Amino acid sequence: MTSSRKIVSLDTALSAVQDGMTLGIGGWIFHGQPMALVRGLIRKGVRDLTLVPSPGSVAPDILIGAGCAKATACVFISFEHLGLAPNFRRAAQAGHVKVMEMDGPGIAGGLRAGACDLPYGLIPDLGTDLPRVNPEGYRRARIQEGGRPLLEVPAIKPDVVFLHGQQADEEGNIQYFGAAYFDLLMAQAARHVICSVDRIVPSSTVRQSARLTKIPSAFVDAVVVAPYGAHPGASSGLYEQDEAHLKAYVTASRDQKSFDGYLAEHVHGANGEQTYLDHIGAGTLASLSSGTSKP
Amino acid sequence: MPVRSDACSMGEMLAVLLARDMADGEKAIVGTNSDIQVAACNLARQRQAPHLWWVSGPGGMTNATEGIVRPAADAENIAVAEAVMDLPQMIDFIDWQVHFFDFAILGALQTDRFGNINTVCIGDHARPKLRGPGTVGISALCGLSRRFYIMMTRHDRGAFVPKVDFICGAGHLDGGTSRTDRGLPEGGPRLVVTPLGVFDFEPEGKAMRVKSLHEGVTIEEVRDNTGFDLIVPAAIERTVSPDDEELFILRRAVDTTGVLARKFPWPKAN
Repeated sequence: MTSSRKIVSLDTALSAVQDGMTLGIGGWIFHGQPMALVRGLIRKGVRDLTLVPSPGSVAPDILIGAGCAKATACVFISFEHLGLAPNFRRAAQAGHVKVMEMDGPGIAGGLRAGACDLPYGLIPDLGTDLPRVNPEGYRRARIQEGGRPLLEVPAIKPDVVFLHGQQADEEGNIQYFGAAYFDLLMAQAARHVICSVDRIVPSSTVRQSARLTKIPSAFVDAVVVAPYGAHPGASSGLYEQDEAHLKAYVTASRDQKSFDGYLAEHVHGANGEQTYLDHIGAGTLASLSSGTSKP
Repeated sequence: MPVRSDACSMGEMLAVLLARDMADGEKAIVGTNSDIQVAACNLARQRQAPHLWWVSGPGGMTNATEGIVRPAADAENIAVAEAVMDLPQMIDFIDWQVHFFDFAILGALQTDRFGNINTVCIGDHARPKLRGPGTVGISALCGLSRRFYIMMTRHDRGAFVPKVDFICGAGHLDGGTSRTDRGLPEGGPRLVVTPLGVFDFEPEGKAMRVKSLHEGVTIEEVRDNTGFDLIVPAAIERTVSPDDEELFILRRAVDTTGVLARKFPWPKAN
């Protein structure tokens, strides 16, 4: 496995991320949140990022809570049944993070334009207040007399995107056991793509079920092997989201001092992810993989 | 709000009321945190609408059916789906195409007299009193579906306001013909279902109107909990409560593990 050019250490992969960059984040709410990469970024102390998350939860929230982001696009940032995203909510209400309000058509049109090297995408004008609060993100388009009202959305081309898949081979073909959401479109639009995976498998395993390869290697710059790398979120087909940890996270997010305590305990330990997994504990991780927490 | 009937949970009640309004052969979309929506679609498929087609918005699974109400994005739905689509293809008919979907069912932080939807913020957007989760597909589904339903798990003056603080899903905008005047396709909200009753929109002015009140609910109680003047017809109907057959099918074929009863009990009395 040492011959791979794509598989690199977390630190090596994160050397591509600098202060002030635009960072795309894949997954969907509690699914496929690239948490090992995100925690690595917090340890690295990157600042002034502009986040462009797919509809997400703990990945954008922890980056905002750790002070790594000056701005974020918000298509949807939610803890679903566990409530509102606590650090995003606190920072947005206090004006500590600039929020670029977006919707599904805005991110879809923007990413597609980015992937196609077009200056902007065209989306329907749906009569919302989004252009009022985000005039740079939604510009009224010229249309023909009597035509459908349209908006221009500027191309989104993140400097780096973080994605999480379930497994990859040495070539960097990323396989997904569930939906891949916007991950491929994000990879197409981005300048640099870093994927974490829970495990590395032989090429023969990938070829046996090539339909699971949602991000072919040509779209991938670096692969980081990160077992339970989506924890406390879920990794499709491998483990469920950790409800107890997420609830504790929400409780710890009641104010900045308390959340700094969470970060000190879970993120800033020595040896990075290994310490994190030891801290969560083998028993907990095993139970998340056992299927017993499902309805 | 008073404690309601113990014959069924609030979640089951809302699912039954929504399911009744769905027609055979229609196309629908269900978002991520949508247990009641999934149950309603699968209940309708078990009864009057066996060819209803629904797709998980983020996950791409169609007609996922196994008698368990799962989060619509979960990989477990793949094994019980008829097809699995990828989101970058699905966006064409979710975010651009007019009237692909017959309906969507949407929740909200706030709704108003004309059925506009807000999930973005309470107060001024720049310094909100409450920062909500955001818009995601709500703008497109409200704007482009043939109709939509508003499903509120709470009915009070915080949620039912004269005018939403932020329109992220266009209902009837300012009423009358303002929606189509603005260039949006025909459509808009058809029903609002809440713990207190069912509401529709008067055909001309498009303002919200009382359609039926649930068993034990008075019009005074609804007025006290609604932040604008509802249109009240001369004779107010009583909501037909879920019958034994509907609840039997819901519990034995759609939601066999009781997700709705567990997650959506009736609000406790004040």
